[in-house]
Amino acid sequence: MAEKKLSKKALAKSFRNWYYGHLTCFSQEHMQTFGYLCAMLPLVEELYETKEEQKEALQTYSAFFNTEPQLGTVIVGMTAGLEEAKANGEEIDGEMINGIRAGLMGPVAGIGDSLLVGTLIPILLGVALGMSSGGSPLGAIFYILVYNIVLTLGMRFLYYKGYELGGKAVELIVGEKANAIRESVIMLGTIVIGAVAATWISITTPMVLPGDIALQTGVLDTIFPKILPLAAVMFCYWLMSKKKMAPTTVMLILVGVALVGVLLGFFDPQLSY
Amino acid sequence: MEIQVWQAALFGLFACLASMPGLGGTVFGNYTLGRPLVAGLVVGLIMGDVQTGIYLGAAIQVVYIALVTPGGTVSADVRAISYIGIPLSIVAVHGMGLSPASPEGQAMAVTLGSAVGTLGTVLFYGTATVNLVWQHMGWKALEKGNLKKLYVVDMGLPWISHILCSFIPTFIITKVGVNMVDLMKAYLPMDGIAMKTLFTVGSLLPAVGIAILLKQVATKPVDLLTFLFGFTLAACMGLNLIAASVVGGFFAVINYRIKLLSMQKAAPAAALDAGTDGFDDDEEEI
Repeated sequence: MAEKKLSKKALAKSFRNWYYGHLTCFSQEHMQTFGYLCAMLPLVEELYETKEEQKEALQTYSAFFNTEPQLGTVIVGMTAGLEEAKANGEEIDGEMINGIRAGLMGPVAGIGDSLLVGTLIPILLGVALGMSSGGSPLGAIFYILVYNIVLTLGMRFLYYKGYELGGKAVELIVGEKANAIRESVIMLGTIVIGAVAATWISITTPMVLPGDIALQTGVLDTIFPKILPLAAVMFCYWLMSKKKMAPTTVMLILVGVALVGVLLGFFDPQLSY
Repeated sequence: MEIQVWQAALFGLFACLASMPGLGGTVFGNYTLGRPLVAGLVVGLIMGDVQTGIYLGAAIQVVYIALVTPGGTVSADVRAISYIGIPLSIVAVHGMGLSPASPEGQAMAVTLGSAVGTLGTVLFYGTATVNLVWQHMGWKALEKGNLKKLYVVDMGLPWISHILCSFIPTFIITKVGVNMVDLMKAYLPMDGIAMKTLFTVGSLLPAVGIAILLKQVATKPVDLLTFLFGFTLAACMGLNLIAASVVGGFFAVINYRIKLLSMQKAAPAAALDAGTDGFDDDEEEI
């Protein structure tokens, strides 16, 4: 019997199904499971002849799956390679594939959330906000193009690397070198976020102290420019990281802070219709 | 200012595409169309006022700059923020005669967007719950060996969930919400405590967005110094965001070089350790 090899077409279809469909049928019970099934279907159809075999192979992927789906593409690529090996009679079974999937989804989710969602997106948005600060659509267009090109090429790369390298592909995202890159990128992200905070948060006070000294220009600005926005960020950070509050709770506390501030005359937007 | 039926319908459609388990896919849907800055452009085009859309979308974007949904839990929903919040803020800012470029106009948008976004959480859980029905059909199909049906379950039927939980709510709220602005003008004077508080909240809220992100990236206290460095670049040295990114990129490269050097140094040491200990416990931070 000739060795079974997945065709380019089947792999491309599998990738497309994952790229688009990993979250479309999301529920709290089975988050990305159906996306995963759809990604494996073209492969399984090609590797196994009978409906029964196909059905049995797909059963493996009916286990719960959820990770950061963009970086998680590498896992889908890996299982494509494993399923191919399994169809060729190598000593791999569904249980083993599921063990690998289950073992990877946590770490990949952690890395993906902090690197893509927590760093890459804010950096790109930070730059885009800068480009759009005069009401220009340029920043939005920049973000649309860069994010979609980088992610589409990146996910394709991860899928095929996962397929080719199998377990070694994990090195790409958790290896020592990858850690060094990640740490540096997060550093860049943190600096950009600092700049975004200083540029986009605008909190000022119109309060005048006895002796006709304006609190904002006469006192606060001389200590550190934009000290109020900085204090607000640190306050929220403290509430969330030390007091373990949810963002919504923090928002409600800010409503209270705003109300008290207005009553004391510390905050006043000084507007009229 | 009016929102026409076709405009409300388009907001509804974009809400279907842009939400978290959305039909535009994760990359182009949630992480592109769902971002308030991009939505500012889209909504601006639909309402014929791109500049206002961008101004307000950008302001709201800061609050949601790090909208992470770990393990599928959300504290705010992008479809509601972007395609209900932004249209209504545009109407509100124009209706109240505020300039979209002013801090007050942006504070108005931020407050409205965040309030709507919090309510939108219901839409998220609604969609996910209706999807359970399709998933149930999917398991049946898999059992029967009707494998092609999986495509319909994954990419076709969820449209129904979105018509119910994205399209219809967005359509109704944007269409009816316009009247809210007149009500506010009639009952809440600008110099009253309620409106003053509302605008102040709007100016404070972006701090939450930044703090969410900071909590995610700053694992040790010294990381806060990195943040403060970026803050100082913009606040005291007057660098704009692109310039600050360049400076940040430079420091990131230096950091990477240092890490590589320490890896090269650690490698021979680890080899020695391995000789005595049998293995070395590699520090993997996950």
